[in-house]
Amino acid sequence: METAVNLVINSLVLSSMYILVALGFAFAISIMGIFNFAHGALYMVGGYICYQLAGSFGLNQWLSLVLAAIILGSFGGFFLERYCFRPFSGDLNRTIVISVAIILLIETTANILFGVHVQSIPPYISEILKIGTISISADRILTIIIGVFLLSTLAFFIRWSKTGQQMLAVSQEPEGAILQGIRTHRISAIALAIGCALAAVAGSLMGSLFELSAFMGDYMLIKSIQLVILGGIGSISGVLVGGLIIGIIDASLPLLTNAAVTEFVGLMIVIAILVFRPQGFFGREV
Amino acid sequence: MQNFQQNLSLACRDKIKQPVIYCVLVIILSLLPIVIKSTYVIQIFIIVFVYIIATSSLRTIATSGQVSLGHAGFMSIGAYSAGIMSKLLGWAPWITIPLGAIATSAIAILVGYPFSRLRSIYFSMISLFFGVAILSINSVFAEYTGGSYGLTGIPPMFIGSKIPYYYYFLGLTVFSLLFLYRIESCRIGMSFKAIAQSPQVASSIGINESGYRVLALAVGCFIVGLVGASYAHYNTVLSHSSFNFLASIYLLVYMIVGGIQSFGGPIIGVVILVWVPELFRDLKEFTPYIFVAIILVVVYVMPKGITGLFERVKLWIKMRREGKVITHAS
Amino acid sequence: MLLKIDGLTKHFGGITALNHIDMYVNQGEMVGLIGPNGAGKTTVFNLITGFLRPNIGKIFFDGYAITGMKPHVIAKLGIGRTFQLNPFFGEFTVLQNILASFYLHPKSNLWDAFFNTHTYRRNEAYILEQATEILVQVGLYKVKDELAKNLPHGYQKMLGMARALATKPKLLLLDEPMGGMSSEEIDFALTAIQKTRQQGITILLIEHRLQIMDFCDRIIVLSFGTKIAEGTIHEIRKKEEVIKAYFGIDHAT
Repeated sequence: METAVNLVINSLVLSSMYILVALGFAFAISIMGIFNFAHGALYMVGGYICYQLAGSFGLNQWLSLVLAAIILGSFGGFFLERYCFRPFSGDLNRTIVISVAIILLIETTANILFGVHVQSIPPYISEILKIGTISISADRILTIIIGVFLLSTLAFFIRWSKTGQQMLAVSQEPEGAILQGIRTHRISAIALAIGCALAAVAGSLMGSLFELSAFMGDYMLIKSIQLVILGGIGSISGVLVGGLIIGIIDASLPLLTNAAVTEFVGLMIVIAILVFRPQGFFGREV
Repeated sequence: MQNFQQNLSLACRDKIKQPVIYCVLVIILSLLPIVIKSTYVIQIFIIVFVYIIATSSLRTIATSGQVSLGHAGFMSIGAYSAGIMSKLLGWAPWITIPLGAIATSAIAILVGYPFSRLRSIYFSMISLFFGVAILSINSVFAEYTGGSYGLTGIPPMFIGSKIPYYYYFLGLTVFSLLFLYRIESCRIGMSFKAIAQSPQVASSIGINESGYRVLALAVGCFIVGLVGASYAHYNTVLSHSSFNFLASIYLLVYMIVGGIQSFGGPIIGVVILVWVPELFRDLKEFTPYIFVAIILVVVYVMPKGITGLFERVKLWIKMRREGKVITHAS
Repeated sequence: MLLKIDGLTKHFGGITALNHIDMYVNQGEMVGLIGPNGAGKTTVFNLITGFLRPNIGKIFFDGYAITGMKPHVIAKLGIGRTFQLNPFFGEFTVLQNILASFYLHPKSNLWDAFFNTHTYRRNEAYILEQATEILVQVGLYKVKDELAKNLPHGYQKMLGMARALATKPKLLLLDEPMGGMSSEEIDFALTAIQKTRQQGITILLIEHRLQIMDFCDRIIVLSFGTKIAEGTIHEIRKKEEVIKAYFGIDHAT
């Protein structure tokens, strides 16, 4: 029974974190039309910023998390969108190159500042909950709660706010949106800022549940692309569904086989989707 | 009849322009080991040769409109096949290397048919995942491949100094480049480019679109399998980090920075992006910043890569000389 | 009959683009396919050349049942076509466009091409000769080294036709070959089409303009996916009221 409960919790932890990061990546694709390969690196930076703020500057851990999100969000919204992606919109090749430049810049700096050692952010809550005979670590539950809260807020924002609706409009019909008078650059900046902030939160949370390393970004990037393809490019609910599926697989399969096979299964699913149904579950027709 | 003869010689236009320059270059490169005593520099040259071959083969695939983000994964097929065959079966390099290339090409053909049906961005995505999946399979069979710890103890091609390797890879580079150049300049390459520009029109003139896409992939993967297998017998150690998706992306960056539209683009890209940071290797962990700086300069200033800049300069000189007005953008 | 179409039907989602079309083209004829926009004319072409598969119906060409065959196989059997939009390879020069289009005749195989054998060189020389001839025939020889995408619109259309001719088709499908042309260009195009007919090539063409219709042996009229009339230009003109009701063509001939 305990295994089952932990399985559900682990699935939800992984799913919610994957979704948080993947959404930023999905926004970049559908709203800005770019493949931001550096998104994984940004996730990693978010975690490291939180670690630095909490560790070296001795700030409260929660404050560090929020600050990390704000810092990364601002960086994404003000700097990245304007100077790195807007000049190359439409040119896929150069977008890839600039993403690589960003990744290298971030990873090299991280390497210089923190070296190859693996760090860990201390847990946000150290308690263990006991429900009946089952022990659950509270920080996992908390991560799920934060994830769900953020996702619901985002859903609310997109559905009910003017900016959110404009974001939807740009993602479905960019040229039409311009004609409508929507300032697409501003929308792109907001979308990228949200994406980066969410990634930073995920990085800070995952950095505590697991560990921080210079390579955690690469792993998350692959996951993000997996989610977007499963769900379909251009669909946010697709990312949610994809996140749940991959999260469940990643949490449950290691119990049956090893990590290598788990990764392989996840990849095979994505490849199969691309071969048989490239638009994913909810994406636009290819 | 005279017209026909004229046409015959025009048809042989497929020959390389200015072959003399390239012969001189090869001769200079052949003489270098006599002059350069540092083993380290020789090794850099070898790595440059390896990357030139890998990136040029990536470009050949790209000329058919398919941008592969999993090319390093294909290279790992060649490398690990050769490594495993020679380590477990004891076969010599001159068998394992061609077999490694054939294995890579065979797998490319196998996955090529389902992959070739996909349009550009989806092809790139599936090739990216394929590259990652290859390493994943590698991990699954870790008892044979060494998994994430790597495959060690591969029998080397030459014992002792690195110089024979230098000549081997120089020769392999010349062979590969001639091979790929021939493909590109004959009707095969023309059909690749036709498919890339307009698959519909290409089909309507009788070009088997998916067949040629698979052919491009098979050719490119054959060459990269060849260099991968050779690399295995050179480095004697293989690890995942040489063939992960970041490695594939780097190949793409070399190609784009050099200029994707010209055959020499990948070569220039590799030379600039591998050599120049090497000159700054004393910066140690700061060296990647040089790489970043080069990329940033190229990507902001030269939209078509470094060779694109050469083309524009040539055009500008030509226009100045002829006093013409530029009628269309380059 | 060179081309025979039986009961051709095509649905796109809920819309029936073509509804049980029967038509035929005889060897040596020039048949015009007309109708208002959205009547399904280009869909007929796409179905004939294998870019789409019909839901119901069969297509026969030169004795073969070609329904559902792949486009390049159909091209090999002898059907060439132009496309309404982007009928060429933009990054190639005009000459390269035509050279590339000589893919089928003569066909060099991969081995010959790669190893530059005597057969290949002879084929390529022959192709160069033929390409030059075609370019002169359609009047594009003077721009042969220009990039196709930089050509003015009328030239691009002629290039599309030249490219289709290079496939030495038995049946040539022309999809609005004179769309957007000026009147001199139209005259030129008409002459080129006439010359092509004299070479024995059967032509099926989609056009709005009535000038070309005079040269057609037969006209087939489509509207909303159904054939509403067929016959010579004179017979169709008699049904003028019907036609005017459908697309009010300006009958200034």
